[in-house]
Amino acid sequence: MNILITGLITGSMLALLAIGFSLIFGVARIVNIAHTAFYMIAAYTIYFLSAKLGVSPFWAMLIAVAVVVALGLLAYRFLIDPIREHEAAVLIATIALAMIMQEAMLLIFTGDYLTVSALIQGFFVVGGVKVFHQQVLTFVVVLIILAALWLLLMKTNLGLAIRSTAEDREVANLMGMNESRLAMITMAISVALAGLTGAVIVPLAVVSPFMWMEPLIIMMAVVVLGGLGSIKGSFVAAYILGFTEALVVFLIPKGAFLKGSVALSIMILVLLLRPEGLFGVSFEEER
Amino acid sequence: MTMISPAVQLKRLVTLVRTEVLVLPSRVIVAMFVLALLGLPLVSQNPYLIRVIILTSVFAILAASWDLLSGFTGQMNFGHALFFGMGAYTSALLNIHFAIPPWGSVPMGALAAVLTGLIVGIPCLRLRGTYLALTTMAFPIILMGIVFALPDLTGGELGISGLQRLSNSLVGNYYIYVVTMLVLSAVMWKITDSHTGIIFHAIREDELAVRASGINTTRYKLMAFCLSGFFAGISGGMYAHYMRIAGPSTLEVSMSFSVVIWAVFGGLATIYGPIAAVFVLFPFLEFVRFWPEYRTMIFAVVVLLILLYMPEGIVHWARDKMEKECPRCKIRNVATRKSCRVCTALLD
Amino acid sequence: MNVRCVVRVCVLVAAAIAVLSVPVWAAAPIKIGIIGPMNFVQGKGHWNGAVMAAEEINAKGGVLVGKERRKIELVKSDSNEFLNLTDATNAMERLITSDKVDFIVGGFRTEAVLAMQDIAMDNKKIFMGAGAAHPELCLRVAKDYKRYKYFFRVTPFNSNYLVRTSFAHMGFVGAILKKELNLPQVKVAIVAEKAVWVDPMIEAAKGVIPKMGMEVVGTWRPSAVATDVTAELSAIQQSGANLIFTVFSSSVGIPFARQAGELKVPAVQVGINVEAQKDGFWEATKGMGNYVFTTNTYIRGVEYNNLTKDFVEGYYKRFGETPTYTADTHTAIKEGLAPSIEAVGSLDADKIVAHLENREYLVPSGKVKYEKDAQGRPTHDLTWGPGYLTSLGGQWQDGKFVGVWPNKWVAAPGAPEVTYKGVVPYKIPPWMKK
Repeated sequence: MNILITGLITGSMLALLAIGFSLIFGVARIVNIAHTAFYMIAAYTIYFLSAKLGVSPFWAMLIAVAVVVALGLLAYRFLIDPIREHEAAVLIATIALAMIMQEAMLLIFTGDYLTVSALIQGFFVVGGVKVFHQQVLTFVVVLIILAALWLLLMKTNLGLAIRSTAEDREVANLMGMNESRLAMITMAISVALAGLTGAVIVPLAVVSPFMWMEPLIIMMAVVVLGGLGSIKGSFVAAYILGFTEALVVFLIPKGAFLKGSVALSIMILVLLLRPEGLFGVSFEEER
Repeated sequence: MTMISPAVQLKRLVTLVRTEVLVLPSRVIVAMFVLALLGLPLVSQNPYLIRVIILTSVFAILAASWDLLSGFTGQMNFGHALFFGMGAYTSALLNIHFAIPPWGSVPMGALAAVLTGLIVGIPCLRLRGTYLALTTMAFPIILMGIVFALPDLTGGELGISGLQRLSNSLVGNYYIYVVTMLVLSAVMWKITDSHTGIIFHAIREDELAVRASGINTTRYKLMAFCLSGFFAGISGGMYAHYMRIAGPSTLEVSMSFSVVIWAVFGGLATIYGPIAAVFVLFPFLEFVRFWPEYRTMIFAVVVLLILLYMPEGIVHWARDKMEKECPRCKIRNVATRKSCRVCTALLD
Repeated sequence: MNVRCVVRVCVLVAAAIAVLSVPVWAAAPIKIGIIGPMNFVQGKGHWNGAVMAAEEINAKGGVLVGKERRKIELVKSDSNEFLNLTDATNAMERLITSDKVDFIVGGFRTEAVLAMQDIAMDNKKIFMGAGAAHPELCLRVAKDYKRYKYFFRVTPFNSNYLVRTSFAHMGFVGAILKKELNLPQVKVAIVAEKAVWVDPMIEAAKGVIPKMGMEVVGTWRPSAVATDVTAELSAIQQSGANLIFTVFSSSVGIPFARQAGELKVPAVQVGINVEAQKDGFWEATKGMGNYVFTTNTYIRGVEYNNLTKDFVEGYYKRFGETPTYTADTHTAIKEGLAPSIEAVGSLDADKIVAHLENREYLVPSGKVKYEKDAQGRPTHDLTWGPGYLTSLGGQWQDGKFVGVWPNKWVAAPGAPEVTYKGVVPYKIPPWMKK
C-alpha cells in the first residue's frame, strides 16, 4: 500500500516533468537542462505569494505558472532561439540559465529551506496507512493535467502539428508548418508543465535553490527510458522509475539513499536491450 | 648522417620559428602562452596564483580529454566526472592503502579510468546523440551511490584524505603540473591530428560513410572512450594528489557540467579550445571573488552572453577574426594579408 | 539581505572610522580570516559571531600584543564549500597568501575542512575549525602533531560526544515517557540520514539503548535531502515505537518533523535535528514541529554560566536571531585567540599553540579544555562533560524553543546533579496521552 502511494506520487511528478522536457526536445531538439529550474522558480513564486503576500495558495499557483511561462518564453526568444543551430551551445546555454536562476533565488531568498502549507490539511487512513489529503489532491491534479494534455495533443490541430514535428521535423517543415512558431508554443507548454509540477508538488516538498538538481537526473532517466520525444514513453517510464524508487525505499530501508542509483541502473539495462528507449522512434541520423 | 653543428641547428630553429610560428597570430599566441606559463615562477611565486594555475592546468587536461571524445567523435559524454572521479579515487586508494607514491598511483588511476572507459563505452556504443548524453550522465551518479554504499573503503562523504603531493616544493609542483599539462595537451593534439584523429572526426560527421569505407567504427569509438578516460584519469589523479583528498565532490553532476561548459565555450574539436576556455574561465571565477555574492551569477551570465555572440566557441571566433584560409591551398594566413603566403592566390 | 547590507555598511563605516581615527604610528591590525559557506546559514553564523567578537574587542581598544594595542580586522571569505570543493581550497589559499591573515576561523563540510586544513598547516597558520564534527580532523593532530598542531576545534565537540549527549537526552525523555504514560518498556525507532558520520552513532545507539532499559524496534535511513518520509513514518508507526531517535543534519529534518506532526505519529522525537535548532523551524514546519526535541548549543533564556546571557542576548539584539553553533567564531576569537595572544605577547603561531592547548577557559557555552588522547598526545579536541561543554537539549513548545535539559542530570553514578539556569519541564505531545 505504501509502495503504491509513494510510487504513484513520485511517478506522477516525474511524468509531468518528463513530458514537458520530452515535448520541447521532440519539437525543437532542445535539451533544456533548465527545465527543472523553471519548476524551482514556480515553487519559489508560490512561496513568495502565499507566505509573504498572503495570496491564497490556489491563485498563487496560477500566477506562478504564468510567471514561469513568461520567463520561459523570454529565455527562449532571447537566449536559445538565436543559437538554435548550435546544439552544444544551446545545451550549455540552458545550463548557464539554470545556474543564473539558482543564484537569483539564492540571493533573494537565501539558502534556507522553506515550505508552503498544504491546500487541505489532514489525513485519512486506508488499510492501516495514513495518507495526506494533499497527496491525493496532487495525484488527482496530475491526472487531470495529463488528461488535458492528452486531449490537446491528440484532438487538436496544434497537437497534430506538435506530434508530426516531433516525429519528423524536416517533413513537417516541408509540409508548410511554421516550425519556429511551433517551437515557441511548445516551449510555452513545456515550461507550463514544469511550473505546474512545481505548483502541485510544493506543499509536499522543501523549497531550496538547489531543488532543481535532484529531479533533473531522474527526469532525464525517465525521458531516455521512455524514448526521446515520445509522450507515451515518458508516461510509462515515469511510473516504472517512480515505483522502483518506492520499492527500494521500502524493501531495503537501510539502502534508501541508493534509490537514484538503482533507478539509473534500470535505465541503462533497458537501453542495452532497446537503444531507442521503450517507445522511442529510432530517428535516422539527421544529415 | 654527419653531426650538425649547434650553430646550424640554432639557425634552423630560428628559420622554423620565423616561417612557421611568427606568420600566424594564433601560433604566436600559443607560443607566448607556453613561454609565459613556463616563465611565471621567475616573476612571481605568489602561492595563490600558483595554486590557481596548477588547478587550471588539471582542469585543462580534463576539458581537453572531453573534447577528444565528445568534440571529435561526437559521442556526447555528460558524465565525464566518472573518469575524473575514478582516477582520483583509484590513485588515492593506492596511495593510502598500498603506499604507492604518486608517480605510480596516478598512472594506475588513469588505467582504472581506461577500464571504466571500456566498461562504459561498450554499452554506450549502441546509443547515439542525446540518448548517449543523458545515459552517460547517469554513470557518475551510480558510482557515487557505490562510494556511499562502501564507506569503509571510500570514506563515504569524507573521501580519502591525507594523500601525498607530487612534490613538496611550490615551484616543483608548479612545473610538474604545468609541464604535464603542456605535454599531455600536445599528445592529445597529435592524436587528433593523426590518422586516428581524422577517423574520429569523420565518425562525428557521418558515421555511416565511415563504416561504408570499411572502417570498424566501433573499435574507433571504443578507442576514443579509452583515450579520453586515460587523460581524464590522469587529471583526476593529479587533482587528488594536489588537493590531498579524493572525495565525492569529484563525481558531482556539477563537475560533469563544468567540463562541458569549458569545452563548448572554448570551441569543439580543437583540443586547444577547451584548454583556452579553462585558462579564461577558471581564473575568471577566481577574479570575481571581490564580489562574492554574485560570483556564480556573473560567471553564468558571462558564459551565456559570450555564447550568444560566439556560439561556435571563443577559439573559432578569435581565429576567424585573426586569420583567413586560402581558398586554393587551404593554408591559413593572417587576416591582414591580401594574398596567400604559400601559393600567392588572392585571399577572399 | 537587508540585515546583511546593514552589517556590511556598519563594518565599512567602522573600518573607515578606524582607519581615519587611528594615528599613523598605530600598530597594524591583527587580521583574522573568516571562511565559510557565506550564502548559507552556517556561513552567516561564522561571520556574525566573528563580527560581534571583533566589535567587542575593538571597542576596548584592541588586543594587547606586547606593549601595543592592535585592533582586529576581519577578512570575509566565501568558501562555497557545499557546492565546490576546489573553490573552498582556493579561498583558503587566498586568505593566507594574498590577504595575509594571521589566523583563520570557520569551515563546515568535513570533506572541505580536511582539504583546507592541509593548506593552513602548510603555511603554519592557526586554523580554528568551527563547524565540522568529524573526529578525523583532530585525530590528525594526534597522529602528526608537528604538522597539524595549528588546528583547533572550537565547535561542535566531536560526534562521539555529540552522541553521548543525545543518549543522555534519550534516557531523560524515555524516563519521563515511562512514568507519565505507564509504559512497561519504551520502544525506540532509530531514524538517521544516510551519511558516514552517522554510521558509528547508529552502532553505538544499538548497543546503548538496550542497556538503558529500552528496546530498538528498527532503523531507517532516509536520504539526507528526502522531501517525503511518509513511507518511513508509516513503517515506524506500525513498529509500535514510542520514541524516535533522530540524527538529521540536513533538510530532511524539516519534512520528517512536519509530516510526523501532521500524521500525529504517537512517538516523540529526540536526538539531533539541525534544522530544528534554527529559529525558522516553526515556520518551516508550519507549526507541525511542535514538541520536537533536539540538542542545541544556545537557547535563549538558558544560561551555562555568566557569559552566556551577554552573548546570546547581544547576538539576538544585533542580528535578530538566536546564535547557532557556527557563531562560536565569537568564542574562538574573543575567548580563545585574543587572551592567548595577550599572554604570549606576540602573534607567533607556535607560542600561541603551546599556550592555547594548555589553557582552560570559560566560554558562553561552558568551559573549554583541549583534550589529550589515551596516549597523552594532544588532539586539540574539546573536552565533553559536566563542568566543561555539554550543550543543551531543547524542545519546541507552542512556537517557542525552550531549554528542557539538563534538568537534574546525573552524568555518572555518584556525580552531582546538573541543572542549568532557565530550563523548563519537558512536555509530552497531547495525542500520546490516551
